[in-house]
Amino acid sequence: MTGGMHPASASRSGSPDATGDAPSPAPLSRHILSLADTKRLLGIRYSDWLLGSPSIETGIAASSMAQDEWGHARLLYAMLKRLGFDPFAVEHTRPADRYYSAPALDRPFDDWADFIAAVVVVDGALSVALESFADGNFALARSRVPKMLAEEEYHRQFGTAWFARLAAAGGEGAARLDAAARTMLPSTIAWLLPGDEVYGVLVADGRVLPGKRVRELLKARLGGTLGAAGIALDDIEPDRDGWDPERRRGPGAPAEEAVERARGDRNRALFVE
Amino acid sequence: MTGGLGEGVYEVFARKSRGEPLRHIGYIDAPGDELARVYAWKTYDEENWFEMCVVPRRAVIPVNRRDGPWRRNLPEGAEAK
Repeated sequence: MTGGMHPASASRSGSPDATGDAPSPAPLSRHILSLADTKRLLGIRYSDWLLGSPSIETGIAASSMAQDEWGHARLLYAMLKRLGFDPFAVEHTRPADRYYSAPALDRPFDDWADFIAAVVVVDGALSVALESFADGNFALARSRVPKMLAEEEYHRQFGTAWFARLAAAGGEGAARLDAAARTMLPSTIAWLLPGDEVYGVLVADGRVLPGKRVRELLKARLGGTLGAAGIALDDIEPDRDGWDPERRRGPGAPAEEAVERARGDRNRALFVE
Repeated sequence: MTGGLGEGVYEVFARKSRGEPLRHIGYIDAPGDELARVYAWKTYDEENWFEMCVVPRRAVIPVNRRDGPWRRNLPEGAEAK
């Protein structure tokens, strides 16, 4: 088995924790689930703005980014097959409280400032996590993640330009952007850098880069954008209150409506392999 | 020339392969060069482009016509046919 996962956890539940009482997933499967679930939820949050964004071009970009995230999520879920899980069950059967997604995506974005803060903070942290994963020794990540990162480069440009634009405009928009970013950062940094025993095993196994290096990558990616808007990344502490080591996140869960969309509940009768 | 969001118009050019000439494939509205690059790539993504470029419409100088989208960019006193 790859990643040190106990075979029993796969054969007993058929998915990492579809029943809610399966053993904690092994480090590698927790990592992949965390990335995949976050991408799936991020895609849903982006898709909410296809028709409500400031211009037609922005809506088209949001649509394309949503599809990127869902495509990446699908590829990441598929990696779980190599670890003995049934990707279909993982994608389509879990309840909301078994999702491993970043807490910043639990609720819909309130406004465009929320959207842009998420592109920079959450999408940016996701890309850093992927960069770290692609640099590790898991062959599927090394072969599949670089293309994701190439597509993510347009998300970075989009987020950077919009963040600077809103921040420079001042007034209520800049204030809301500042508040949104500061709200998302602590839980997102904790999600990216769990600092727990399971993550330590992931690092020791050579699956991802050490936490210190990941923090440097995060600063390289977000530091300039946030700093120009008056947010010092070094001053933001990760929020690990109520940490759930199994789901690699703090308490709470994505809203049920989003999870119904993520699972494809309404299309269940139409699923084909 | 500019939209309600203080946006400018950018003409989009692309080619599918190295040996093919760039051709005009459309235009987008964007508030600056960086977003123009993103919007163009995301809007005209129906092909696997080898190369894509954007040009601010204000930078396109017409040579032989007085009509069309670039007519406002005629240099002062220029005589176009």
